[in-house]
Amino acid sequence: MNISNRFKRVRKKYGILLVLILLFIIATLLNSNFLSARNLSNISKQVSITTILAFGETILIISGMLDLSNGSVLALAGLLSVSVFKMTGSLLLAFLVAIIVAVICNILNGIMVTKFKTPPFIATLAMMAMARGAALLYTNGQNIYQIGDYTIFGQGSILGIPTPIIFLVIIAFVTWYILHHTRLGRSLYAIGGNEEAAVASGVNVNKNKMKAYIINGVFVGIAGVIFMSRVNAGLPNGGQGFEFQALTASIIGGTSFSGGIGTAGGTVIGAFIVGTLNNIMNLTAVNSYLQQIIRGAIIALAVIYDTYSKNMKMKSEKGEIEVEEDEKEE
Amino acid sequence: MLKKALLVSMVLVFALVITMSSSVMAQEKYEVAYIARAQGDSFAAWLANSIVNEAENYENINVEVFDGQGSDSKQNSLIENAITNEYDLIIIQPNNGEAQRPYAEQVVEAGIELITTNARIEGIEGGSSVDADPYAQAAVVAERAVEQVPENANVVVLTGPPGNFHSSERRKAWEAEFFEKRPDVTIVGEQIANWNKDEAMRYMEDWVIANDRIDAIISMNDNMAAGALEVVKDDPKFNDILAYGVDGTAEACLLIKDGLMTATTMQSAYALADKLLWASDLLLRDEVIEIHTNIGNPVVDQSNVDKYIEMHEEAGNL
Repeated sequence: MNISNRFKRVRKKYGILLVLILLFIIATLLNSNFLSARNLSNISKQVSITTILAFGETILIISGMLDLSNGSVLALAGLLSVSVFKMTGSLLLAFLVAIIVAVICNILNGIMVTKFKTPPFIATLAMMAMARGAALLYTNGQNIYQIGDYTIFGQGSILGIPTPIIFLVIIAFVTWYILHHTRLGRSLYAIGGNEEAAVASGVNVNKNKMKAYIINGVFVGIAGVIFMSRVNAGLPNGGQGFEFQALTASIIGGTSFSGGIGTAGGTVIGAFIVGTLNNIMNLTAVNSYLQQIIRGAIIALAVIYDTYSKNMKMKSEKGEIEVEEDEKEE
Repeated sequence: MLKKALLVSMVLVFALVITMSSSVMAQEKYEVAYIARAQGDSFAAWLANSIVNEAENYENINVEVFDGQGSDSKQNSLIENAITNEYDLIIIQPNNGEAQRPYAEQVVEAGIELITTNARIEGIEGGSSVDADPYAQAAVVAERAVEQVPENANVVVLTGPPGNFHSSERRKAWEAEFFEKRPDVTIVGEQIANWNKDEAMRYMEDWVIANDRIDAIISMNDNMAAGALEVVKDDPKFNDILAYGVDGTAEACLLIKDGLMTATTMQSAYALADKLLWASDLLLRDEVIEIHTNIGNPVVDQSNVDKYIEMHEEAGNL
């Protein structure tokens, strides 16, 4: 096999990962501080919250759904968690409250989608408004300050590794495990790929969709805790626009909006492409208006490249199958 | 005799009804619609809450708050609805002054009293305004920074949303009152953090990697200054960093008390609410036909921060 063919194979196989590697090389050339441990840790911390949300989003999109409420639910869950901590001083209780609140919101999303057959876009849009309204109502629009040791979730570290990164790695592993090593994961791919076929093959669609929303709720609750802890305050208007950042990370990472396709690894890569871009533009002091143009253009190019790679891969596989069939006929 | 008694009682009942209705008329309240920019914005929420509280001191005024949710179209619809519902006075805290201008003009055309606030919409004939001067708010801290920021300093600048009147006026003030007077100072990073603490944190995390030395944080509001300080608060390299904001939020006051933040300008929602209700009362009672007034711009620093912390504690912000 010559070098050109080998390169094509690598490009086909790893697609979007090559974009990230290319971005890392360019960033290193542009700024010598880019590859420093502190900067890489910064990027990881900065993307941790939206990546955790993106894992939930990936699971939902794979099964043909989505969540537009995760930014608002993050704010509500985080706020209530901060409040509980201020009242009780219990970190464990505060952490659990965030997860319970986010799971309840997502169970409601799940009920709207599975029982009332509301399109996920509409159901979660409604939840987005309700959760934000509840957060504002609870705090009367005011921030909560002096949250004390609560900051440990977002600003602490274990063996020198910042806690947001530890959460990120654990949740990445959980997502990967669910999607690739459980019956639930296989069912979600089947539902997203072809729901009617999934029903015909005995998959309990509603039950699995509900489970997907519950898992998403757990992730959103954890993200809410990390967010409030990281900013050292309870912000009722926090997390605005996070739903779109999470969707962007998931889609850039190769998750198909039509369902049935997507991976945890791809989502991590997608999130890091966006995070690295933001980071290098700040390190090199790019004008903020120009940043928006570059960000949009590179995201579009990354997705076009990935789609092109996948099409080429499909054509190539189809060609190989046809050749194999021709050989069999001969 | 019976007829006489019936007649007397009817007269008495009639007199009672007249007396009661005139007393009800005398207690009739003026209806005021307050169209807030966005209740999700902590300063806007503080202002809305202060207006509602201040209105309790005026027996003749009832205030209804409507949330513009940070959207021009939403806010314009709310103004139209308030005109249709024939409020006596409409107070607009514009999301974007120019987008709300035609609707504010409709208020005056409909014969309804109008006040624009935080920020005022300039040049509406027949409309009143109560505001803080955003240029002056930044200028008073910028003047201090001229003296405090060390020679050949590296500074970072955080601004609010593009096109926002308060953000652009505050930035202009820093340019004229600080950067033009201190050509030795270098801006090593300037970004739009949209008033948000978390966005400011992200920018500051990158700036401390790219720059060995940052001497001052210049922020167009306190939220963003607090976000930037959150990144360097435990880093001994930045022990002497200076930080300037505007708003006088509860968090900024605590940071000043702890010696982490240098100074801010108090944009008191209480002072704004106080003047708004005072102006509303005068306009509604036809004591005046138009008012334009500003609140003061006191600087908050170590010397006076305690009284502002106390103010926030009394208001339940801390």
